[in-house]
Amino acid sequence: MERKIALVAGLVGTLIVLPALAQNFGSPALIAAAKKEGKLVYYTANFAEVEQEVIKAFNKRFPEIKVEMVRAPGGQLITRVKTEAAAGKLAADVVDHSDRALMVGLLDLFQDYAPPNGADYRPDAMISPKLWPRATLVWSIAYNTELIKNPPKSWMDLTKPEYGNKQIGQVFAASGGTTWTRIMFERQVLGEDYWKKQAATDPVLYPSGAPTSDALVRGEISIAPLLYNIIYTKKKDGAPIQIFFPPEGAPVNPYASGVPKTAAHPNAAKLFLNWNLSVEGQTFMIKELGNLTSLKEVPVYPEGFDPKVVKVWLPKFEDYVKLHSAWVEEWNKTYNYRQ
Amino acid sequence: MHGQASLPRVLMSNRGGRTRHRLASGAWVALLLAILAFLVIYPVLMLLLGALTDTNPVVDGFGVFRLSVRNFITVLTNPNVGEALANTLIACGGGTVVAVVIGLAFSWIVVRTNTPCKRFIAAASILPLFAPPLVAGVAWVILGSPKTGLINTLFKWMNLDWRIDVYSLSGLVFVFGIYYAPYVYMFTASALRNMDPSLEEAAEVSGASAFATLFSVTFPLIMPAIISGMLLSFVVMLGIYGIPAVLGTPTNINVLTTYIFKLTNWSPPLYNTAAAVAIILMAVTGLLVYVQQIVLTGRSYTTVAGKAFRPRALDLGRWRWVAFGLAIVYLFVVVVLPTLALIVAAFRKFMFIRDAASLVDLRQYSLVHFHSIFDNPLTLDSIYNAVEVGVITAVVGGALAFAIGYTIHRTHLIGRRAIDLLSTLPVAIPGLVIGVAYLWAWIGLPGGLYGTIWILALAFIARFMPDTVKALSTTFLQIHRELEEAAWICGKGVLGTLRTIMLPLARPGVFAAMTLLFVLAIRELGSSLFLYTSNTMVMSVLLLDYYEGGNIGKTAAFSLVQTVLIGGLIGIANWLSAETSQGGVGRTG
Repeated sequence: MERKIALVAGLVGTLIVLPALAQNFGSPALIAAAKKEGKLVYYTANFAEVEQEVIKAFNKRFPEIKVEMVRAPGGQLITRVKTEAAAGKLAADVVDHSDRALMVGLLDLFQDYAPPNGADYRPDAMISPKLWPRATLVWSIAYNTELIKNPPKSWMDLTKPEYGNKQIGQVFAASGGTTWTRIMFERQVLGEDYWKKQAATDPVLYPSGAPTSDALVRGEISIAPLLYNIIYTKKKDGAPIQIFFPPEGAPVNPYASGVPKTAAHPNAAKLFLNWNLSVEGQTFMIKELGNLTSLKEVPVYPEGFDPKVVKVWLPKFEDYVKLHSAWVEEWNKTYNYRQ
Repeated sequence: MHGQASLPRVLMSNRGGRTRHRLASGAWVALLLAILAFLVIYPVLMLLLGALTDTNPVVDGFGVFRLSVRNFITVLTNPNVGEALANTLIACGGGTVVAVVIGLAFSWIVVRTNTPCKRFIAAASILPLFAPPLVAGVAWVILGSPKTGLINTLFKWMNLDWRIDVYSLSGLVFVFGIYYAPYVYMFTASALRNMDPSLEEAAEVSGASAFATLFSVTFPLIMPAIISGMLLSFVVMLGIYGIPAVLGTPTNINVLTTYIFKLTNWSPPLYNTAAAVAIILMAVTGLLVYVQQIVLTGRSYTTVAGKAFRPRALDLGRWRWVAFGLAIVYLFVVVVLPTLALIVAAFRKFMFIRDAASLVDLRQYSLVHFHSIFDNPLTLDSIYNAVEVGVITAVVGGALAFAIGYTIHRTHLIGRRAIDLLSTLPVAIPGLVIGVAYLWAWIGLPGGLYGTIWILALAFIARFMPDTVKALSTTFLQIHRELEEAAWICGKGVLGTLRTIMLPLARPGVFAAMTLLFVLAIRELGSSLFLYTSNTMVMSVLLLDYYEGGNIGKTAAFSLVQTVLIGGLIGIANWLSAETSQGGVGRTG
């Protein structure tokens, strides 16, 4: 009899546990604790609009957990996190940042955390076992189809004089981690003199990808290297835009996201990150938001991305930290950008 | 309480009373100074500290001062800072000239002439005040971009060879000028309204032409208002980020504010350098305030006395239609065109406009951007929070400004000069940088101020104290002391005099100042950026999010929502003030 009960109990237990395991969002204990916490505060450097979609998708799965977001541009977010932490008032349960070099300085603030599928992630996309590449953004080139009849096909094409005279828009180098990745790629892969040749086309310089993408849609500029996720949603909505991944390579910038030691809602935070890092979360971000992923096995590629043709390019983290200030300064000189 | 020092001696009956008065007035000054120390000195010290070290005082601890002038030297020797400073002075100087011409012209037209539809012109003259700078900038980009601007598209369609380009210093001067004219208007309109017309009549009786009277009597008489309006508009332009950010970026024209923003936004952020640049900005402003003091010291500008009079309307004859035409043109350029631009952008799916025909292609228009902003739960939250902060700021800040203004202008208390100086100081500090200083200064305070709506309100009260105090000071300067003295002689105490004389007379001014404060608080972006938390997101921050998110459609849609909302709230305020007093906000500003 007792064995029977144990067997039934075991079966019931498995039945309860199984769906959760299958979707890999965390142990039932974690999910229950997260639901009990009921909310989390999410600090991100990504665009609020984009993250609103992520939160919505997460809430379809876990409607009981309210996600309160604070969004700030990279530099400001770091200052806020540092200052709040120093005053003992860090409100964040999750910190999500695009510039991994800046996050390295904050490692002590974070607790040990790994998602259930942690082993499925590329080690070269990570800078610490505590911080995870929740989002992985990829560079592409986009052009306005109403204005460009003979479109460029590669990174090198952006140096051609026919696209000169302020037709190309560029995000300036000091704007943050993602742009820094791109200019590193340009110099290390496309050649030492790529900047000089590109700058010779007299591009318009913008402070970040978002206004660049808007200028492209409006026709202020005709061509721009852009993070795929910024321009993809506009194309999806019907803007006169075409996007391609140049064959020389696709620079990617993985984020660094973690749970601070002081998190008031640690379980909800972990569940949120678990979902984001799960195949379901990553697939959602690839399909709906135009991200890439740092999973070793990519569940799906964005439209137009052929892994046989386009190689993903990840910067060496050591270079990423070491070369930054000297190269950015050189870039500014080359592009005659006044700091 | 605090008027005692100025009371005629006869009223002070005994020695004990005098000591009591002295104690009370000392306590009053100490209280005001303590409030100002908390709101102004403490954050400014943080800012100075930031400029002189390379540490974050909260993170690295207050003990770690690597005090050095390195930041300063780096900043002062950087040619780009010099260029940004030059651009700033040109843009703000030019903008101020435009603003004074427009503001003064309209205040005179509205108050002193028989131009038709004056109430309408009065309302139009202050409308630009409702538009947040970022919105104004975005609207003018849509209109005046050299490549895609709607005006240029229309010129092309009309086969005209004209082009306008707002991505330039002249574009900046133009947009600054038209948007900050209301500051000059507000000051000069209330001064003109309160001016005794007998002086003008005297000039005319002596044979001066209307024109000569205007320049030899009217304008000199309201000089403090003109100078205050001029100074305030210049200083406000100095601190504006939105307009130069949008118009200057495509051609890499830096002004000090956009330069500071860049420094705080770089990765890694350079706050200490930003603080050093901010100090330059403070120095420029400090100099201007000093000049104003020198110019205004030693003159009496009292024009409201105990006599009853009505401001007289000058008969312009046929010229009144020219004045009316000017008002229509101004309204068209400052309100109608940008609003149309925002409407086009808000309702159009994409802002790619091939030609004029595509502009009227109705298939391109939809409500998609409105759906999407109201689909975002943050939108309603941010509106609610902004209004709450606005009301707190207006009421508390208005009361504080009244207390400060009264102490400065109506008493001879020791310490009032210090109060004047301290309350003017924040005008010199750009919001972006003071935001960090507020964060540094107030985050560590016990009691959990950080993360509440109050930290935002306190920052706005501090930041806009100069605007409010200056707006009120015109009111105080114009009410003749003889009115108060009459009340004292009739046996009223200081509080009684305040209640029966000052408050009723100053009420339109106080109401106008509070409304101004409310609008400024709702629009304020720079200092909110560091102080808002997940549940205190305000409209201006969300608007920047939409703008930085690169969606001009949503930005325009939210701008329209914000503009309609502010307009509606001001309408209510105006109606309320009309209920309680003769002069409305629309009339006094």
